[in-house]
Order: sequence, then structure tokens, then C-alpha cells
Amino acid sequence: MEINKALSISARGMDVQTTRLRIIAENLANQDTTGSTPGADPYRRKTVTFQNAFDRQLGAPAVQVKSVGRDESDFQMRYDPSNPAANADGYVKLPNVNSLVEVMDMREAERSYNANLSVMQATRSMLTRTIDLLK
Amino acid sequence: MDQTQIGLFDLAERRLAWADRRQAVLAQNIANTNTPGYRPRDLKPFAATLSRAGAIAPVRTQPNHISAVSGDRAPGETEPRPAARAPDGNAVTLDDQLIRVADTETTHALVTTIYRKYLALFGIALGRSSSG
Repeated sequence: MEINKALSISARGMDVQTTRLRIIAENLANQDTTGSTPGADPYRRKTVTFQNAFDRQLGAPAVQVKSVGRDESDFQMRYDPSNPAANADGYVKLPNVNSLVEVMDMREAERSYNANLSVMQATRSMLTRTIDLLK
Repeated sequence: MDQTQIGLFDLAERRLAWADRRQAVLAQNIANTNTPGYRPRDLKPFAATLSRAGAIAPVRTQPNHISAVSGDRAPGETEPRPAARAPDGNAVTLDDQLIRVADTETTHALVTTIYRKYLALFGIALGRSSSG
């Protein structure tokens, strides 16, 4: 039934946005995670991409997480000789997490999640109304 | 008398089926609001589906059948020209899609109400109260 499919598709949409939020939370929580040995690499920012692929169980294309990748951009350096991760010159590599970008992403994920939720509510009220025809 | 011979019931049923399908298509669009390269789809207006109801077209009895229409859209679907595109190629505009969802919901509510009213007329004809 198409209407149940619509509900499942919205649920998948919410699911992928939740995964995205989890990755964002991970990035934000680790924005000060440096390495533990001198010159070691700090936390590398994670990224998530989506794709619309055919879902056998659902019998329709549905959105899913394509991959969780790593942001290969350069690390920032900060002069902090007392840090255990400082290299010979006293510089520490900092994670390539930009909290502004993450918060922006978070807002977008929230907006998309809400949109999926609205569709779900609309679909549900349509379903209820159809069932009410039996009364 | 067979109920399906009464035009209104048949019409209401088709319209409800159309609203259901449209809701699934719109849910698809909104779920893919952050998928790179995704282009939103929609169904053809109901009037257009009705007018070519007599036309012969291959039917997909299973979703994984190859459709006769080029591209991966099902027959009856259109790909409206996107108003804007994100840098990643995604062309879903959330507010536009949500307006379409609200529109579909209103249509659905209208049709179910008409359906019930019409059914209630039968109730009156049979001598029952219209509420029952």
C-alpha cells in the first residue's frame, strides 16, 4: 500500500538525519581531541553522505547513508609546548572540526528531520481518515 | 446495484489512490532533501491521469520491473523543473514540497468527506439516520 510506503520512506528519512546528527555530535564532542604522543594526528572530522537506492524490503527506492567519510583537510597548528602531543618545535595539531560548520549542519539536519516528521503526520492523518470511512 | 457502477465511488477511489501515490512520491522527495544530485518528482495532475485513463500503457506489477518510461520514474510521474539547486546538485525545496504535502492532505480530506456524505445519503434512502 502506497500510504504505508510513504510512512516507511519518511521513517528512513528521519533515520538518516539521526545518523547525521550522531556524526555531528561526535565531531563537536571531539573538537579538542588531540593526539597523545608527540606529533600524533588529532581527531579527524567525519562526514556523512546520503544516496537514494532501491530497497528490497520496502519495494521502493529509499534514502540511506552512502558512506561515513573522513574530512581530509589540513589540521590547524597551535603553539603549546606543554601539551603531550606537541612536536619537536612545540606545535600541536588540532582537529579539523569547525564548530560553526557543525552547528550549521546540525540546524540543517534538524530542519530535514522536522520536514520528514511533518510528512509522517500528514500521512498518518490521511490514513486515519481513510480508516474512519469504515465507521 | 454494484457500488462501482456509481461514478462517484469509482472517482473517489481513484482520487484517493492518486493522493496515496502522491504522498509516497512527496515523502520520497523530502526524505532525500540532503541527497546529492537528487531531483524532486511529482505526479501528473489528477485531471491528466483521468483523461488518459483509456490509453494503453505497460503496467509495472512489481516495483523492480523496468518501466517503459525513460529514466527511473514510474509512469504518471513528472519531474518539475527545479526552481533552485544546491551546490551538490540537490534540487529539493523543502517549503515547496511541504506545500504539496498539505495540498495532498487537503485533497484526501475532501474526498473522504464527500465519500462519507454520499454513503450517508444511502443511509437516508434506506431509512437510517444519517449519522449511523
